[in-house]
Amino acid sequence: MLIRSPQDWELPESAATPERDYDLRSLGRREFLKTAGLGLATAALAGRPAFATTAGFPTKVNPDYRDAALKPTAYELITSYNNFYEFGTDKADPKPNANKGWKTEPWTVEITGLVRNPAKIDANDLVAKMGGAEQRVYRFRCVEAWSMVIPWDGFPLAKLIAWADPKPEAKFVTFTTVLDPKNIPGQRRGTLEWPYLEALRLDESNHELAFMATGIYGRPIPNQNGAPLRLVVPWKYGFKCGKSIVKINFVAKQPRNTWNVMAADEYGFYANVNPTVDHPRWSQASERVIGGGGLLGTRQKTLMFNGYEKQCAALYKGMDLRKYY
Amino acid sequence: MSFLGKFLRAKAVIWILIILPGLWPAWPLFYRQDPSVLADPLKFVLLHLGFTASLLLAIVLTFTPLRVLFPKWDVALALNRHRRLVGVSAFAYGAIHFSTHLFYELQGGAQGVGHVLKTDVTKPFLVTGMIALTLLLVLAITSLQALIRWLGGKAWKNLHRLAYVAAALIAYHQSAARKVFPMQVLWIFIPLVLLELARFVKQRRGRTAPRMAPVRPGDQGIPVRTANERE
Repeated sequence: MLIRSPQDWELPESAATPERDYDLRSLGRREFLKTAGLGLATAALAGRPAFATTAGFPTKVNPDYRDAALKPTAYELITSYNNFYEFGTDKADPKPNANKGWKTEPWTVEITGLVRNPAKIDANDLVAKMGGAEQRVYRFRCVEAWSMVIPWDGFPLAKLIAWADPKPEAKFVTFTTVLDPKNIPGQRRGTLEWPYLEALRLDESNHELAFMATGIYGRPIPNQNGAPLRLVVPWKYGFKCGKSIVKINFVAKQPRNTWNVMAADEYGFYANVNPTVDHPRWSQASERVIGGGGLLGTRQKTLMFNGYEKQCAALYKGMDLRKYY
Repeated sequence: MSFLGKFLRAKAVIWILIILPGLWPAWPLFYRQDPSVLADPLKFVLLHLGFTASLLLAIVLTFTPLRVLFPKWDVALALNRHRRLVGVSAFAYGAIHFSTHLFYELQGGAQGVGHVLKTDVTKPFLVTGMIALTLLLVLAITSLQALIRWLGGKAWKNLHRLAYVAAALIAYHQSAARKVFPMQVLWIFIPLVLLELARFVKQRRGRTAPRMAPVRPGDQGIPVRTANERE
């Protein structure tokens, strides 16, 4: 099999910001849109000052992870409706606030803890080491009872774990996300404990569906979605998917994840999507479909393990999912 | 009389100020076409209606303390002419908010209103909103002139103190609607709490200060108040 390793200097066509966008940016995005008469989707790509991980693009679609029944949510919605409390608690906050000088390139990721091959590696080099990026279409279910369908680009987490080579004592993997209060406004307030921390069991991390995303829709992931590198665990609630990861640490004991520290009765360690276990404040039985059905929108039933029951149920055999929520 | 005082005396002005926030969602939805709003437009409308209801209730509750604290300020007097209208509008926004909630939960899920309500009553976050709305409904109905007369001033006043209970429930309901405590709850309710405290202090002083000579109704031109008399 021929795998072409892209060079550092290579940029995909999509990463290049057309010169005219630079000229027009001072007019403001709306004005620019009107003058240029372009659609919303194009606007999302215009005016981005820097791209994150650019290695691995353009990506190839992995047909094993593409369900014809899943209709991907519009790019503009995926990149405008974000929970990224580091940049504000409103869904609209991260898009403007994460693109005001916070740099996601160059980016170094540290792989450490109970591994035989610890490393500090540039995000682009890491993607190249993992054999480039592929595209998978996953369901995405937020704990707030809304859902999207997202075409992620990236590489399987299992590849990274194989490369790190965990020691037998390693039982959990923690994902520490960025801490940079100077450039990240939300981290100057104590909304949550910073840096945001998430963790998985090692066997969960090694599951074929666990994914490290570096892109969306075949383009480098925008800052507001967790550039340059984020976790994607499609059978769990979205908050498990740590964004802008700087450290991957292999440990022996189960760590506490940020939301669990914040409100243990509401957010567990596992956070598997489960329509039969409600959030104390709202039902998880169904979900709003983002961008679905015009102005009134639409709702659909939530599936066990977010529709990945066949693949994931075995991980939790014999466990009381009411207790381990 | 100041311009603002004159302006706020007009009922039409208050009507416009009440209706405008209800139309606000049209701006991000249709004019700006904000994608963060278009992601789930009905949720935006739902939250906005609840926010408006909460804001209007907090505002109408400041009217009385404003009048007590600044009895000569024409703006406070002008606002107090509209207590009923603003109060009932808080209920109206709450009622539309609740109907939107039912519709929002029902769509596609299609398990019936009964099922949604059954889930609602098991969640403190949702049940507090429902209790508050029920209280506001009682207050709105008893704001009819005939019912005010039927109840009598004192009973009516006592009953309408339930507005404070509703406000407390709404403050909780609103703060539980988000994953982390939303600052807007403080912006809405802290001014009200401060004004109520100031009123409490002033009224206590007023009650204790002129105790030099005891006065009884009927003495020295102090009118005798009948039980049914309204302020």
